[in-house]
Amino acid sequence: MLELANVTVQFGGLSAVKDVSLRMGSDEMVGLVGPNGAGKTTLFNVISGLVKPIHGRVLFDGVDVMHEPDYKRARLGLGRTFQIPQPMHELTVRENLVVAQRFGAGRVDAARIDEILELLQLTEQAGRDAATGLALQELKRLEVAKALATEPKLLLLDEVLAGLETQGKRLFMEKLREVHARYRIGILIIEHDIETISSLCPRVVVLDFGQIIADGTPQQVFNDPAVIRSYTGVEHA
Amino acid sequence: MNQRNFLFAVLLLATYVLVPAVFGDNNYVMGLIISALIVAGIAIAWALLGNLGGMVSFGHAAFFGVGSYASALLTMKLGWPVLLAMPMAGLIAVLFSAAMLPALRLSGPYFALAILAYAQIFRILATEMDWLTQGAKGLSRIPTLPVLFGIDLGSRSGSYLVIVTLLAAFIACYAWVRRSHYGTALRAMHDSEQATRVVGVNSVMLKAWMLFLSAFMTGVIGAFNAHTINFLEPDYAFGGGWSVLPIVAAIFGGYRTLSGPVIGALCIYLIDQLLFKSLLPTGHQIMLGVLLAAMILFAPDGLLPLFRRRHA
Repeated sequence: MLELANVTVQFGGLSAVKDVSLRMGSDEMVGLVGPNGAGKTTLFNVISGLVKPIHGRVLFDGVDVMHEPDYKRARLGLGRTFQIPQPMHELTVRENLVVAQRFGAGRVDAARIDEILELLQLTEQAGRDAATGLALQELKRLEVAKALATEPKLLLLDEVLAGLETQGKRLFMEKLREVHARYRIGILIIEHDIETISSLCPRVVVLDFGQIIADGTPQQVFNDPAVIRSYTGVEHA
Repeated sequence: MNQRNFLFAVLLLATYVLVPAVFGDNNYVMGLIISALIVAGIAIAWALLGNLGGMVSFGHAAFFGVGSYASALLTMKLGWPVLLAMPMAGLIAVLFSAAMLPALRLSGPYFALAILAYAQIFRILATEMDWLTQGAKGLSRIPTLPVLFGIDLGSRSGSYLVIVTLLAAFIACYAWVRRSHYGTALRAMHDSEQATRVVGVNSVMLKAWMLFLSAFMTGVIGAFNAHTINFLEPDYAFGGGWSVLPIVAAIFGGYRTLSGPVIGALCIYLIDQLLFKSLLPTGHQIMLGVLLAAMILFAPDGLLPLFRRRHA
């Protein structure tokens, strides 16, 4: 469903992403990990159309979306969240979802919005102001709910579990599994915590200095000497 | 019809009947009210762009001037009927506003400055293209509003009915856009444009529609004014007052409300002309500035929200 071919991004003279190629199936759940500054969010920005690479191609559902603007990619089925939640200001939680559904999916289906609110435990907060009336955990859930309201085929989740305490993280992971199972969509998730990503994703891709250094099952990846070196800075014994 | 719409209809009917009934014989007062409502029309258009489009414009004089000249020229040179030339003038203002589309990628003061510069360009063009506009000499004997169903729309009372109808149509249109999903998305775009784009909102297109709608409204008001005063020259039609006064009116009345710009325009224009002008015949606008500064300091949301809070 998603194919990145030789994607390279440069900011000034600095290469944020170097020659990255990646394929992902339609209902896969893939973890994207790597140290800070590895290029994970930049890669998400390339996929969702917020950053233009200097080289390479992005294919989604067999269509080259390189020249499609961000809002058109959303309409094609690329939903995303941001590391720092970006609720739509001046709107309630429900209105956030209505706008996402109306413009992303091209329709308004109140039943589906209720379903998403219930699934992400936001029903009680539906009438609250999204920008000022929610706690961090609720804002993170709203990010996912907004992206889901666009009826995506692929969900890009940027550190949605970061900042949550252990119990909150566990509950959120359950929700993500439920989302994946119920809507049968692909999920590409950025996460720092190796344990979390190992239990959530059957496939993990590791990015370091803008390049993919490992791709496989969590066991394969986290035993890979290059990955251990990148995380610990020392050679594997 | 819900209660709000019913109230709007009753108020509109009362406005149609009462003002001409009370002031119909007083041309001076009717003239002042019409002038105030002209400012109100631009103020509604300005508030629509500011409130829904999130863009602060210092250049509505450009749309006003283009609408004025377009309607005057269509009627004088091509012999178009005035009531057909007026909406066409609005469309021509839309066409000219398309030149401002690149500025939509700018935000805040940069957009405001860009649109101010555009307004100056149009004023200079109107002055220099004297083969069409007669330049600084101006256009005179612009056709007046016609007689329709036995009502002389060119008279003070007739012109009043036309401007009230235009304002009612603008408010209804503004309310419809604001209530729609487009209005909700536009509200969301102000502080979170990226968040709206990644859920499929074409923010630039929506802002462009608001610019077009605002330009259309202002152009039609400009056309109405041209056929009411029957004379135009560039410094008047593109004068900074048509940009500044509606802003003052909208902020004074409450630019985030539907009727705030109208109430603001009526208050500031009538207070200025009937009170400040008699107290300070030269430079009376300074008192408007003081009034606006006080309003921003003590009731930044404007008169109407202040009134509502007091009576809540």
